[in-house]
Amino acid sequence: MSTFTSSDIEIAARAADQFTRLYYTTYDSATRVDDLPNFYRATSTLTWNGNPFQGSEGVKSLMERMPSTKHEVQSYDCHPIPGNQPPSLLISVSGTVTHGKGPAGNPASTPRGSIEGQPRVFSQTFMLVPDPTAPPAKPGEVAKYYVGADAMRFVG
Amino acid sequence: MRRNAVSSVTGSPKPTLEPRTPTVAKKALDVWRDFVKSRYNADAQFLNLERMLDDDLIRKHHLLPPGAPGSSLRESSVIFKLASQLKPEVKTISLANNNISSGQLLSSLSHYLPKLANLSLENNNLQTWRDLDFISTRKGRLEHLQELILTGNPVRELEYKNGRGDKYKGEIGRRFPSLTVLDREPMTVIAFDAPQASSSTHAARPTATTFPCDMGTSFITGVDPALVSGFLARFFSVWDTQRASLMDAYHPSATFSFSVNTSIPTRARLQGFQHSKEMPHQKKLEWTPWITGGDGGSRNLSRMAGGLDKMVRSLHVGAEAAVRAMVALPATKHDVGGAPEKFCVDAWPVGESLLLVTVHGQFTEEPIGGERSFDRSFVLAISPDGSRAKLNGWDVMVMSDQLVIRVYSSHEAWRAGPMRVQHGDSIQPSPSQQSIPPQLQEQLAPIPEPERTLVLQICQRTGLNVKFAVDCLQGNGWDFERAVRNFEEVKGNLSRDAFL
Repeated sequence: MSTFTSSDIEIAARAADQFTRLYYTTYDSATRVDDLPNFYRATSTLTWNGNPFQGSEGVKSLMERMPSTKHEVQSYDCHPIPGNQPPSLLISVSGTVTHGKGPAGNPASTPRGSIEGQPRVFSQTFMLVPDPTAPPAKPGEVAKYYVGADAMRFVG
Repeated sequence: MRRNAVSSVTGSPKPTLEPRTPTVAKKALDVWRDFVKSRYNADAQFLNLERMLDDDLIRKHHLLPPGAPGSSLRESSVIFKLASQLKPEVKTISLANNNISSGQLLSSLSHYLPKLANLSLENNNLQTWRDLDFISTRKGRLEHLQELILTGNPVRELEYKNGRGDKYKGEIGRRFPSLTVLDREPMTVIAFDAPQASSSTHAARPTATTFPCDMGTSFITGVDPALVSGFLARFFSVWDTQRASLMDAYHPSATFSFSVNTSIPTRARLQGFQHSKEMPHQKKLEWTPWITGGDGGSRNLSRMAGGLDKMVRSLHVGAEAAVRAMVALPATKHDVGGAPEKFCVDAWPVGESLLLVTVHGQFTEEPIGGERSFDRSFVLAISPDGSRAKLNGWDVMVMSDQLVIRVYSSHEAWRAGPMRVQHGDSIQPSPSQQSIPPQLQEQLAPIPEPERTLVLQICQRTGLNVKFAVDCLQGNGWDFERAVRNFEEVKGNLSRDAFL
């Protein structure tokens, strides 16, 4: 099995940078119900805090019932996965997410030091896979990728 | 043309018919404004700042464009500021052929034109990567740049001359992640289906005030949970006591890296974990052994100041490289045999015959004795017969391993049950994804909370009917995880009437 060149690693890192920025900007936007499902396909499998959802439809349904969010990505890492060409990518993201109005949305009677409403730490892992049905649209495009699997947990 | 101040009594010049144009010495700013306007093609949103030294307007007024000897930051800042006022907004700028030698002259570009899409610096005199820092690092980042031209600059030409063209392209790719065309050639990119401009009709802001679901327990599906828990128990035990022998468990081409998130989370801070009596060693913990250790250091891709080299060095490819890195990290103790609620696992099959396993938990860093939290993502494969992994008792082996170490947060974060968005939200168990059939509801009704929710969850998770779910839970101390594990062990022996 061939190992990766520094070019493969650099392309993967660039993809991760683009993806994390696009994904969380979309997640936090008013149009996420329509736009976030585009990162997924019908076969995508995902969990939100241990609750399973399936495909773009599942994502849409999840987004419809989700309070507004504001994500802050603090670290992320990306590996090409040995096996296929072009390779699948494993991306893990660590950061914080605030829901609703955050601490500002707590009632005035909230005791000082209450953690409710405060940002939560989240951990999210993505498997990005190339879409075999989508030929490269522009010169230089390796492939069109989508989220094959996605596991998200609040961890703090 | 100077205006005749006074017409003399004798022989005044014949009055001219056209209006007299006053010639006050124009302020430099006005000249720059006129110049910038004259170079702007509003239809193409293209500001052409090529060959400024040869420009008539500039020469006439003895101005110093960027790149001219004696020019300073002030001129380029003025130009970029004026450019930022043009309408419609500038998308493309060419600064070709200006003899610009210092990247510092570009330092205000990202401030005034943050959305710039295309930039040509062709045939200038930029010498080093540091010159590009001013548009590609914290000093100033053109985050939306799609096209860049650097041909004819020493920083590029020297790399190509020395056979390092690929390294140059890689370094540019790392500095400008949004770039799709470099020096008129398309960059190799991985694309996604995110519309640049949303075609959505759903402009309404999200209005939900509750979460879509409760916090769920560990989610393992499509694979024998015992396989996953068996692997993890052994993995962390070996990681703690005999890390080098993990060589057996990694595929020859496996990838390993670790990254450190040093932020102190708000909730953890409010809960006072830094000063708690139960954890007296937190303040002694240092991040340095993680950030710089492990044979290449922490791989947080959002902070790769070390450039392409660091990005490659911190990714360990192959079992040997992975182990070399692991053994250079601090010693740890994971409480594998202890409280299972301190760990959370989500796992299911992905791709062809691969397994995605994500684990969240904590460990004690030795010898200091402080607690850290971690998240670890594995991609596992079934070990082939006769493989080193299989021969050493690893039924699954590691293809990919990403470890994140962060400031300690309590495992309460993933305690199963309902969650509040704001303080004061009433906590009702939210309706489950599947609606509860009325017969089931009837049977559950006499059972008080919190037992009722647990029974319902066991029914949904295992398919057992209420009576057997209650038995199962009672026999396992009303511990959901234990009950599920017990169920998995005995389910083969249960008769049909145990189920719904």
